[in-house]
Amino acid sequence: MIFSKRLTSSLLMLIMLFVKTSLAGTPVLHPQFPLLDESGKNVLFSGQPLSTMQTCGTCHDTQFIVSHSRHSDAGLSSMNNFSPSASDYPWDRGSGYYGQWNPLNYRFLSAPDDSLLDLSQGEWVQTLGFRHVGGGPAEYNQAGVRLDKSPVTESWDWQKSGVEEMNCFLCHTKAPDIEERNQALQNGNFRWANSATLIQSGAVIKERTGYRWNPEAFTAKGDVRRDFLSPTDPSNENCGQCHGLVFTAKDTPEGLKSCDWNTATTGEIIAPQRINRSGLNLKDKENLHRSWDIHTERAVQCVDCHPSANNPIYYQDSKKHRLDHLIFDARRIDVMDFLYRPSHEFARGGLPDSNEQRSPGETMRSCDGCHDANVGHNWLPYKDAHFAKVSCESCHIPRMHAPAYQQIDWTVLTKSQTAAHDCRGAEGDPRDVTTIINGFEPILLPSRNADNETRLKPFNMISSWYWVYGDTPRPVRLADLKKAYFKGNNYREDVVAVFDVDGNGEISEAELRIDSPEKEQAIRQNLETVGLTQVKIEGNVEAYKINHAVTGGEWATRECASCHSEDSRIGAPFELATFLPGGIVPGFTGAIDLGQIGTMEVDARTGLSYTMDLSTQGLYVFGETSIVWVDWLGFALMLATIIGVVVHATYRVISARRNGYKEHQTKRIYMYRFYERLWHWVQVMAIFLLLITGFIIHKPEMLGILSFPFMVQVHNALGFILFANAFLAVIYHLVSGEIKQYIPQPRGFFDQAVAQANFYLKGIFRGEEHPFEKSRAKKLNPLQQMTYFGLLNLLLPMQIITGLLIWSIQTWPSISNALGGLRVLGPIHTLLAWLFATFILLHVYLTTTGHKPMDGIKAMINGWDEVEDHSGRKSTGIETESKEKLK
Amino acid sequence: MRNYKHTWLLGTILSLAIIIIPILIALPRNAQPIDDPFSKLPKIAIHVDHSALMQGPFNTGQEVTQACLVCHPDASEQVMHTSHYTWESDSVYSPDHKRMVTLGKKNAINNFCISIESNWPACTACHVGYGWEDESYDFSHKENVDCLVCHDHSGGYKKSKKGNPAKGVDLLAAARSVGAPTRENCGGCHFDGGGGNAVKHGDLDGSLKFPSERIDVHMGRYDFSCTTCHRTEDHNIRGKASSVSIGDLNTQNQVQCIDCHNQEPHRDARLNEHTEAVACQTCHVALMARKDATKIHWDWSTAGQDLPQDAHQYLKIKGSFVYKKNHRPDYAWYNGTTGRYLKGDIIDPTQVTPFNKPNGNIKDPKAKIWPFKIHYGKQIYDKTNNYFLLPKTVGAGGYWTEFDWDQALRLGAENSGLPYSGEYDFAETSFYWTTSHMITPKDEALQCIDCHSDVGRLDWQMLGYDGDPVTHGSRFLSGGER
Repeated sequence: MIFSKRLTSSLLMLIMLFVKTSLAGTPVLHPQFPLLDESGKNVLFSGQPLSTMQTCGTCHDTQFIVSHSRHSDAGLSSMNNFSPSASDYPWDRGSGYYGQWNPLNYRFLSAPDDSLLDLSQGEWVQTLGFRHVGGGPAEYNQAGVRLDKSPVTESWDWQKSGVEEMNCFLCHTKAPDIEERNQALQNGNFRWANSATLIQSGAVIKERTGYRWNPEAFTAKGDVRRDFLSPTDPSNENCGQCHGLVFTAKDTPEGLKSCDWNTATTGEIIAPQRINRSGLNLKDKENLHRSWDIHTERAVQCVDCHPSANNPIYYQDSKKHRLDHLIFDARRIDVMDFLYRPSHEFARGGLPDSNEQRSPGETMRSCDGCHDANVGHNWLPYKDAHFAKVSCESCHIPRMHAPAYQQIDWTVLTKSQTAAHDCRGAEGDPRDVTTIINGFEPILLPSRNADNETRLKPFNMISSWYWVYGDTPRPVRLADLKKAYFKGNNYREDVVAVFDVDGNGEISEAELRIDSPEKEQAIRQNLETVGLTQVKIEGNVEAYKINHAVTGGEWATRECASCHSEDSRIGAPFELATFLPGGIVPGFTGAIDLGQIGTMEVDARTGLSYTMDLSTQGLYVFGETSIVWVDWLGFALMLATIIGVVVHATYRVISARRNGYKEHQTKRIYMYRFYERLWHWVQVMAIFLLLITGFIIHKPEMLGILSFPFMVQVHNALGFILFANAFLAVIYHLVSGEIKQYIPQPRGFFDQAVAQANFYLKGIFRGEEHPFEKSRAKKLNPLQQMTYFGLLNLLLPMQIITGLLIWSIQTWPSISNALGGLRVLGPIHTLLAWLFATFILLHVYLTTTGHKPMDGIKAMINGWDEVEDHSGRKSTGIETESKEKLK
Repeated sequence: MRNYKHTWLLGTILSLAIIIIPILIALPRNAQPIDDPFSKLPKIAIHVDHSALMQGPFNTGQEVTQACLVCHPDASEQVMHTSHYTWESDSVYSPDHKRMVTLGKKNAINNFCISIESNWPACTACHVGYGWEDESYDFSHKENVDCLVCHDHSGGYKKSKKGNPAKGVDLLAAARSVGAPTRENCGGCHFDGGGGNAVKHGDLDGSLKFPSERIDVHMGRYDFSCTTCHRTEDHNIRGKASSVSIGDLNTQNQVQCIDCHNQEPHRDARLNEHTEAVACQTCHVALMARKDATKIHWDWSTAGQDLPQDAHQYLKIKGSFVYKKNHRPDYAWYNGTTGRYLKGDIIDPTQVTPFNKPNGNIKDPKAKIWPFKIHYGKQIYDKTNNYFLLPKTVGAGGYWTEFDWDQALRLGAENSGLPYSGEYDFAETSFYWTTSHMITPKDEALQCIDCHSDVGRLDWQMLGYDGDPVTHGSRFLSGGER
C-alpha cells in the first residue's frame, strides 16, 4: 500500500510537471453569454430549447447571416423561379442541396401535392437534414413563412416538431454533438435539435423524457460558463462534419471507414497524418510517408482558403473586378463591423458537380492566389505551356490513396436495403478491414475556371443506375423499391427464384445485379404491381472534381512519361462500371459536358469506360499524340526508298560483275572548300541527332531509357544549331556566288534531267560515263539541283519554321496558336521529319554513284574528288551547251 | 595535297565541337545536391589483424597494455590526457561561480548515484584504466591505461570493480581481437550509464547495438559506429556532455550535425527557415527511448524499506523510479552552455534545483530550441548547511549495505571534505540531457502541426513568444531582438 502510494505521488508530481506547461492558454475574445429561447428568455429559467437567432442575435446580426447563407438556404429561396430544364435531372425541384436529386442520396423531394410522396419537407429534414445547417428549408416554406406558424399540412405536423433555426454551434463550437443532433432530427424533434448539439459540452442533459439544461454549466448571472461553451472559428473538423473526411490525430492510426459517404465521391481525406500512419490497409503503405493533405499538415485550415466573403484580412476582389493598377485595396471593413455582420457566403471554387454552384462563383483564392508556380518549377521544360494547359492539381494530386465510388446501382437493393456500391481503388469490399486498398489515379478532364481558362484537372467519375417510372420519368421511390425486393427483412421468394442463379437459396453479391432479361422483367413486374407504369432503367455518369488531398513537390507527378508516352494518363480510358445494369448505357450529367469532350465505350468483358478526346481540347501531347496516317505515310515512303536503293544497288553490283569494271579517264580536282565541308558535316550531325531525339520525343516508349525532358532540351538546342548553320551557309553561298550552282538553268534543263535519270536507270549498270562532268563550278547534276532546290527552299525552311513555332509556345504561344497550335504544327513537323529521313537515305546512296563508290564521300571529307575527265570525249551537244553556260 | 587522316580528324572534332558546345551551354544546369554528407565522413583504415601479434600469456590487464605499448608507444600517453582517463576537463570559467572550475566525473554531482567520491571502486568500473580504488589513485602509470575496453572485438572483455578486468575474462583472446572501437565498446559504458541499460540517456541504450533504421538512421541504415561522428584524433574522442562539463557546445571538441550536413539541408525553404531557431534534433528526434524505457524520475527518499523489488520501480538501496518509453522531450532555449551546481553550492530546498540548466532564451541569438530529457530526482541534502550531500553508498559502512543514512553521510563527508551537520532531508533536483542520438529517418521527423497547432508540443509563451510564430511572427518580432 505504502509502495503504491509513493509511486502514485511521484507519478502525480510528474503529471503536474507535464500539465503545468499546457495551462498557459491563449486569451479568449468571446465573452460569456446567456442562452436564450425563442421569446428571448434565458433557457436556464424557462427550460425551453435555445434559439440561436435570439442567443447569437444579441450581438451579431443573425438575420443578415440567415438572409444570404447558402449553407442555410440550400436552394429554397430560388425554388419559385426554378426551371427543371436547366437542371441535371428533370425531376429536380431546386438547384441546391434541398430539391436537387442525386444518385448518392437517392431520396427524392416530392412536391407537396404529389400523390406518390417520397420525401415531404419535414421528412427531408428528418432524413437529409443531418448535412444541412438548419434554417432555410428546416425553418421556412417556399413562400418564406415560418413553418410552425403556417397552417398544418397533412404530410408533416410542424407545430409538433418545431423548426430548426440555423445552427451556429455546428460550426462555431469545438465539439458539436452531431450524433445527438441527428438523433433529434430523426425523431422529428427539430425544436430541440440545436440544443442537442450542445450535449457533449455538458450544458444540456438528455433524459428519458426530453432535454434539461444543466444548472452547473451556468454562472450565477445565468451566462453559460466558458469552460462549457466557448464559440470558436470553424475548424477543419467542423467543416468535415458534412463536407468530407477530416481528422486531426497525427500519430494514432485512424480507423477509417473507407469509401464511406463523407469521402466516397472523390476519396479526398483532409488530414495532416502521414498516410503510412493511417489505419487503412494500403498497398505499399510503408513507403507512403506523405501526408493525406499537405495544407492540413502545414496548419492551413479550411477557412483559410474558404474565408467569409467580407473577412477584412482575406477579402480580395476577383481578378475580373480588380483595378489593374491596384495591388491591394487598403480600405477594409472595420473588424467590429465584420463581427457584427460577418458574411456567411464563403469563398469557394467552382464546383461543376452541382448546379447550384454554376452561378458566377469561384470567389476563392486558387493555388496561384498563394503560390507562385514560376518559382520552383525550373526543372520543368515548357513551364508556361504546361501551366496553360494543366492545372496545379493534375500533378499535385497524383493519386487518391483512399477509395471512391465508381458505380452506384439502385436497380437492386442489398440486404441492408440500400444500393449496391462499387468502389474504385480497393481490391475487394473497401469496408472489409482485410481488403487491400490501392487507391486510384484520377482522370484528367478539362475544367473551366472563373477567368474562363480551361485546364486539365483531376476528377473521379461515378456511374449510377436506377429505375424510373411514369410519363415524365422520375426515380422509383425507395419505399416502392423495397416492396419490389423485400418481404419484411428478407428478399421476396420470387426475387430469390430469379436472382439465385446457382440455386443455393441465397443471393450473392455477384448475383445481385440485373444482368438478364428475366431479372429485369421480374423486378419490373413487381414495381408495376405496386402501381407504377412505364417502369424502366436509366443510368447516368457524373464527374466529381478533386481539389484537396494535395501533396508537395516531392510527391507530385514529376515523371514526364506519365503524360508523355504511349501510356499517357491524358486520354487514357477510365473505368466507369464493371457491368451495365439492364444493359443500359448511361447518359451524362453535371456541369462538364462529358458527351462533348469524350466518348464512352462498352465492352462486354470489362464493362464501361470513358475516354477524353484530346482533339476536342486542341491538346497535342508530345509522346502521346500522333496522327496515325502521318507516321504510316512517312514510314511507307522511307520503306519504299530503302527497297528502291537495295534493288538498285544489287543490280549495280550484279551488272558490274557481269560487265567488268570499265575504266574512265579521271582527274583529281579540289571540289569542296573547307567551309563547305564543315558546313555539310555539321548539318549531317545536327540532322541525324535531330531525327533521333525527335523520334524519342515522338515515341518515347520505343527508347525508354533516355530521359524525355533531356531529349526535348537537346532537340531544341540542335534545332538552333541547324538553323544557325543553315543561315551562315546561305550567307556564304550568296556572298561567294556559289548559290548559282543550286539554281537550275531553265534552258535545256528538262533534257538534261532526262539524261541524268537515264544514267541512273540504265547507264550506271553498263558502266557508262556520267552524262555530266562534275567540276568545281558545277557540282550538281540537274536531278540534284531539283532535289536540293526543293530541300533547301521547302523542306528545311518548313521544318525550321514549324520547329521554331513549336519551340515558341513557351514564350509566344499566341503565334503558334494562331496557326492552329500544336495539333497542326506537330503532325507537319513529324511528316517533314519522315521526309528528311527519306532524303538522307537516298542522298547517302547516291553519293556512291560517283566514279568509284567512296569517291563522293572522300571528297566531302578531304575536298579532293576523283571525277571523270570528259575533255577528250565527243560532245553530246546537250552537255557542251550547259558546259559553256557554266563557264 | 593534304593529309587525309588529319583532315578527317580535324573535321570531326570541329563539327562535334560546333554541335556539342552550344548544347552544353543551352542545357539547364541540374540543381546541385544540397549537400553530400558522406563525403565528409572520416576515412577509417582497415585494422591490422592482431591475432598473430599478441602472444601472451596475460595475467593482468596491465600486461596486455604493456604488450600494446611495444608497438604503440604513444598510445597510453595520449589516452592519459583525455577526459576518458582523467575524468575531468580543462579549467573553465564558471559565470555562476565567478571563478575557474575544473569539473568532471571525478568531482561532479548528479541526481542519479550522486557522486563517485567515496564510492570509487564501483564507479571506476567504467574508468578507462585499472585499479582506481580511492582518491589516492596515481594517474601517471602508463600500464594502467585499459586498451581493451575500447578495442576488444572478442565480446568477452568485461570490467569490474576498480576498473580491473572481471574474473574469468580471456585476456589473450581479447588482446588478439583488437580493432577500432565498435558500438558495443562505447556502449559497454555509455549505454549503461547510471547503472543499467537506458537509465541515464534517453537517446543511448542497448537498442543501438543492432538498431533498425527506425531506431537510429545513421547506425541502422548506414551502420555508423560511434566514432564515425565522434571523430577521434590521438585517442581524443570528440564530444562533451553537459552532464559533466559546464558545456561549451561551440568549441572544436564537439560533435554537430553540421559536421556532415549543410546548415540549410532541406529542399523546402520553409523548413530551412527553422534552422535559425531550432536545433536539428528538435524535429529529428520526435520521441526518445523508442525501444528501451529510460529513467525520468528517481526518489532517494523512499530507499531502505523492505518493499517488492523491481529494477524499474523500486529498489531498497536506491528508492523509487519512474521509467518511460517513447518519451516526448522537453524543449528549451540552449546556447551551448549550461549552468552548473557544484559541490557545496547553497540550495533552496523548497525549490527544484536544476543541476545543469541550459542557458539561453529567445533574446539570445546563439540559442536554439533544443530537445532535452529532464531527469527529476529527490536526493539527500544537509538541512543545516543547505547543500547536497555526498553519501557513501558502496563498500564497508556504505548505505547500500547498512541502510543507515547518517553513517553513510558521515563516511561520505570524510572522503569528500564537505562537512555534514548531522541533519539531513531530501530535496528535488533536475538534470538535463540533450537528445542528440537516435536520429530517425526523415519521414518520422516532426511535421508542422506537431508544434504549430492547438495541440502542438511547444509552449510558445513559455519559450518567450507572443504566440505561435506562424501567426505571431518569428523570434525577431516576438520577444527576441526587436
